[in-house]
Amino acid sequence: MTNPQPPIAANPHSPIPANPQSPIPDPPLYACLHRPPGDGPAPASALAALAREFSPRFECHGPDLVAIDVSGLERLIGPPQTIADEMRREIAARGLRAHVAVAATRTAARVLSIARPGVTVVARGEEAAALAPIHIGILAKLAACEEPQRPQSTQNLFVQKNSARSADSAVSALLAAVAVFKRWGLKTLGELAALPAADLASRMGKQALAWQALARGDDTRPLIPALDEERFDATLELEWPIEELEPLSFVLTRLLEPLSTRLERRDRGAAVLHVLLRLVTREVHARRLELPTPMRDVRTLRTLALLDLETHPPGAGIDRVTVVIDPTPGRVVQHTLFTRAHPTPEQLSTLVARLGALMGQDRFGAPAVVDSYRPGAFAMAAFAVEHRDPHGERRDRGDRREGFVQENSADSAASAASALNVVSALRRCRYPVPARVAVADGRPVRVTTDRRGFVGGAVTRCAGPWRTSGDWWECEADRPVSLVGRDPARAEREPSSASPRAHRSHAPGWDREEWDVSVSDGAVYRVFRDRETDAWFIDAIVD
Amino acid sequence: MSLARADLESLLRARRLDRTLTTALAPLDPRDETALAPAGIPSLDARLGGGLPRGHVSEIVGARSSGRTSLLLHAVAAATARGELVALVDALDMFDVESAAAAGVDLARLLWIRGHVVTNPGLCGDLNQRALEQAIRAFSLVLQAGNFGLVVLDLAEAPAAAVRRLPFTTWLRLQRMVEGSQTACLLVGGEPMARSSAGLTLRLTNRGLGVGDWGLGGLGNRGSDDLRHQGSDAGTRASADPQSGIRFGTMLFDGLTIEARVARARAREREQMDAPVPLTTVAADCA
Repeated sequence: MTNPQPPIAANPHSPIPANPQSPIPDPPLYACLHRPPGDGPAPASALAALAREFSPRFECHGPDLVAIDVSGLERLIGPPQTIADEMRREIAARGLRAHVAVAATRTAARVLSIARPGVTVVARGEEAAALAPIHIGILAKLAACEEPQRPQSTQNLFVQKNSARSADSAVSALLAAVAVFKRWGLKTLGELAALPAADLASRMGKQALAWQALARGDDTRPLIPALDEERFDATLELEWPIEELEPLSFVLTRLLEPLSTRLERRDRGAAVLHVLLRLVTREVHARRLELPTPMRDVRTLRTLALLDLETHPPGAGIDRVTVVIDPTPGRVVQHTLFTRAHPTPEQLSTLVARLGALMGQDRFGAPAVVDSYRPGAFAMAAFAVEHRDPHGERRDRGDRREGFVQENSADSAASAASALNVVSALRRCRYPVPARVAVADGRPVRVTTDRRGFVGGAVTRCAGPWRTSGDWWECEADRPVSLVGRDPARAEREPSSASPRAHRSHAPGWDREEWDVSVSDGAVYRVFRDRETDAWFIDAIVD
Repeated sequence: MSLARADLESLLRARRLDRTLTTALAPLDPRDETALAPAGIPSLDARLGGGLPRGHVSEIVGARSSGRTSLLLHAVAAATARGELVALVDALDMFDVESAAAAGVDLARLLWIRGHVVTNPGLCGDLNQRALEQAIRAFSLVLQAGNFGLVVLDLAEAPAAAVRRLPFTTWLRLQRMVEGSQTACLLVGGEPMARSSAGLTLRLTNRGLGVGDWGLGGLGNRGSDDLRHQGSDAGTRASADPQSGIRFGTMLFDGLTIEARVARARAREREQMDAPVPLTTVAADCA
């Protein structure tokens, strides 16, 4: 069925006669396919596959709405009406049902494909006239029909969430605006298009201009063609097996360099790096590195891969190396003049990997306090590779200078206050040092230990006791071995791999009497008596 | 004598070996945050000419309980408040997170690298040389990464003999790694370590001990669960010893009176180095 209105008219804006040799580009022409709701299930990519049959330049506005750039197809297929008919025939051949609209602007084609069933073809320059009689409620339908532009990779959840959130807010704003337009008495897109733009913007904001452009059928942005998901992988067969990691670094560089170039061309970064090593034993040694931030620097990727392979070496010689990269949209960084330069995520990722290889994965990170009264309790979190301005980043330029002055004055006041109060700090003995403490009149009078480097001596002054206990309600059977209150000799024999976090954060109950003592060698210690065992320990040094 | 010194210095400059000269560098602008990292204590920063010099290896040295850690945490807190990233290589794993939080350190901006707990790390009597060297390697890695505002190597409780056994070139290498960058490199130890590589050496001395005389109102939130647990034991807390000024049962340690003296500073006036800077530390709940 062909919609009779508006007719295809011979007009002065008619397409330029086909001439393959002409240097003048073809005028833009767009077709839009819309699958009406309630038309039965169909794969979301069905329209995209159909669009790909006609042009490589198409944009998916949602699962049921596709805009196709059909400029130049007149030379191949025929006039716009023929193109539209051809599309409709192809749709029917695939067992689908869809509206087809062809117009010189993508916006007009989108609106018409939703508003009018069958095939609609609009002559060049007649877009506004074709849209004018359409009810203004079509804007709400259009908003509901379109989905946010998804990133091509599903790896970057942050981008997905942000785009979905902004799209949701845009849709809700448009729905609210349609309600306002109806209250104003507007019934059609033509009436909205006829409103004075300046007055409309002053009442509804600058986004109202975009809605008015929609009503007029004007494009506010070019078509963003959907691209196929590109696979980023490279393989190298080796004539002689590699036994060590050093020669492997050259192989990795050779594989990663072209991949990095391709990633850069597509504005992508690596989210996950897979290194697949086929061994001479025909086994495949696979390593998967999840990168903390999108990156494509060859040296960084190579270093991370090698550091990972150092800790997880292959069991035999390598005769084939494959590198596969899961791409994700590239990182966009807006630097500011008001904050200091930080290490880049690439530098920090490499540093973290190197530190992990040197010290062990559990030996570094960002410290964190825990909600506990246990003396010395702490937690460790992974050190973030991206840090934001502590004073906030969402200020515009107008606020920035004023805020900068205010923050400086606030900082000055805070630093002046804190300068008066240098907080006394402790140096914790992660394993309390067993001590011999002589007590007279209920107070420690002498502290000594067998530990080398610790002099000890008579107590010159002391303060205490501070009695503290906790976690005594924990079931005895469920308790792991506690550091506090156990045999000091056992503490000495504790294997070096024991995690202090486990002792401090997850050890069971404690019951102690703490004293701060100043001894004759000038040092100040925090000592405690374990009330279960009546043993004394040095817990910390006041420094 | 002065002529010979001038000749020697000019010769060293000509051969680009002038990094060890105390008069080699021009004074830094105290307002220039790209050249100096203020410690956050105005009186001390004024004495230091604006703060710790960036691109140099500086030292905080002193005996046990001389306030090294308190001053260090204050400098770290000031750096994180400026939005800088700080790395702390804690060779003996003695960093106290609660103290750091009380000092105002933004812990999310602090990369804490904990030295390996060897047989018995407490007061480092059994610290072996390998653990120390491993800490220095970690420290080098952080310096190589660059762009940290402040990088600290804490060897405060390391045995002096173990530190002395480190090759002298260690400190020169660290100085070469940090020079020209905007990183303030800080060593904390019992005695000066970096020798001629040190840009600034701050020596701390404990001048007295203040013991709290505040009442139960200053208990803070520590151990409040114990009050419930201990029942009648809490009644013994208020007993006081009037002769020593100690109030038993109140908060434990109150503070230190310390004195900071610039023991060595390249590009600083000699007369500035003589006068000590008195400082007082207070317990976290008083700050």
